[in-house]
Amino acid sequence: MAAEQINEQKYREVWTTPVIRLGISTMLLACVLSFIPLIYLYMVHGILPPFSASLTAWGLVASVFGAFYIVEPISYYPILGLAGTYISFLSGNISNLRLPCSAMAQEVVGVEEGTKQAEIIGTMGIIGSVVVNLVGVTLAAFVGAWLIGIFPAFVADAFRKFTAPAIFGAVFGQFAMRQPKLAPFALVIPLSLLYFKAPIWLVILASVFGTIAISRIFYKAKIIH
Amino acid sequence: MDEVLKVANSTGVWLTAAPIVIIALIQVLLYYRQIYHAADAVNLTREQLSQAFRTGMVTSIGPVVAIFIIMVGLMSVIGAPMAWMRLSVIGSAPTELTAATLGADAMGVKFGGEGYTLQVMAVSWWTMAINGVGWLLLVGLFAHKLEDVREKVGGGDTKWLGILSTAAMIGVFGYLNSRNLMVISGPFVAAITGAVSMIILLHVAKKMPKIKEYTLGIAMLIGMFAAMLY
Repeated sequence: MAAEQINEQKYREVWTTPVIRLGISTMLLACVLSFIPLIYLYMVHGILPPFSASLTAWGLVASVFGAFYIVEPISYYPILGLAGTYISFLSGNISNLRLPCSAMAQEVVGVEEGTKQAEIIGTMGIIGSVVVNLVGVTLAAFVGAWLIGIFPAFVADAFRKFTAPAIFGAVFGQFAMRQPKLAPFALVIPLSLLYFKAPIWLVILASVFGTIAISRIFYKAKIIH
Repeated sequence: MDEVLKVANSTGVWLTAAPIVIIALIQVLLYYRQIYHAADAVNLTREQLSQAFRTGMVTSIGPVVAIFIIMVGLMSVIGAPMAWMRLSVIGSAPTELTAATLGADAMGVKFGGEGYTLQVMAVSWWTMAINGVGWLLLVGLFAHKLEDVREKVGGGDTKWLGILSTAAMIGVFGYLNSRNLMVISGPFVAAITGAVSMIILLHVAKKMPKIKEYTLGIAMLIGMFAAMLY
């Protein structure tokens, strides 16, 4: 099972190269397909979004999310790997769904973190989550309103408000167990930045790369291994 | 508003929303196939692959129920087909709602309120689309460059690469939790209980490996219901 037994040349041939080819083509195709509903609106109903308002809206939305277009892929990459990144950024719901499913798949199969096996097993976990996700939203579209009617209101409410915090806590607990010495830093950095009202994109970057920097120092000093 | 929702829920919009959802599905199916091609090269067994796939499915059930519930709410404002499209790809509900609202803001209209005409809806759609493209385009063009960076930073030290991924994960989730830990509230209770349950469950799973697949799902439910009792 040793990682160094893997033939690099072969690995690139059966994995890295096809992964990149598939990734680039699906992402760019998805860009184009994003606008089909707008084209339909114009062709069938003769409605076009006014040019100046569209530019304004683009400016607004880019000022809110623009930094995340860059920060998120960079921050999540070390966890998701290449194929995992392509899938996660096309399918969305990264923090509450893709990352936990990737981590759990690796945990259950028991692969060594950061290896090629870990990347592939994590990707497989993400694929499993995308399948369930697509089934779930398709069901919601057709029978959602009816199902919500028979759900007790307080249960629906609990799911809406508390699933994300509970998952975030659980995944943090899972990884804090592996490197307990890093866990306090990963909380102190974002908490203090939030306290001083730093912009969110900066909080993400500082949390991820601050924790990585500390792990490097600790690793070099043989405090963690 | 009624007329707007009628158009937003029309069959035509369903048909135009479908292609990108289908691409998301085709993408994972092709990667699934590629993994089976690559498995031998990295010494992974068929059993391990199906175990990973199953774990991903089981772990995602809880979060998907939440997405399901949020989506039903989103459907009433942007119509079922757009909600379906935007929650199948790229977006999480808060992101999409923010984008749709900013689109209405740019037209000087309240989102889903008085004066929310088809034209304003078109700007909402445009804003959601152009926002999603930001992520798609950057990942499509630059993700493979990140692999080169990772290899350089890793420097062939597999042990360090492992610590690096773990540190990144702890960092990301430290940040995600921090927003819920600023004040003592329902989310605070959910996060703490979730973390404690997960640690206990993983210890139990060492003796009973059978339950490992379900640990995150169970920890999530415990955290959720503890928050409800709070």
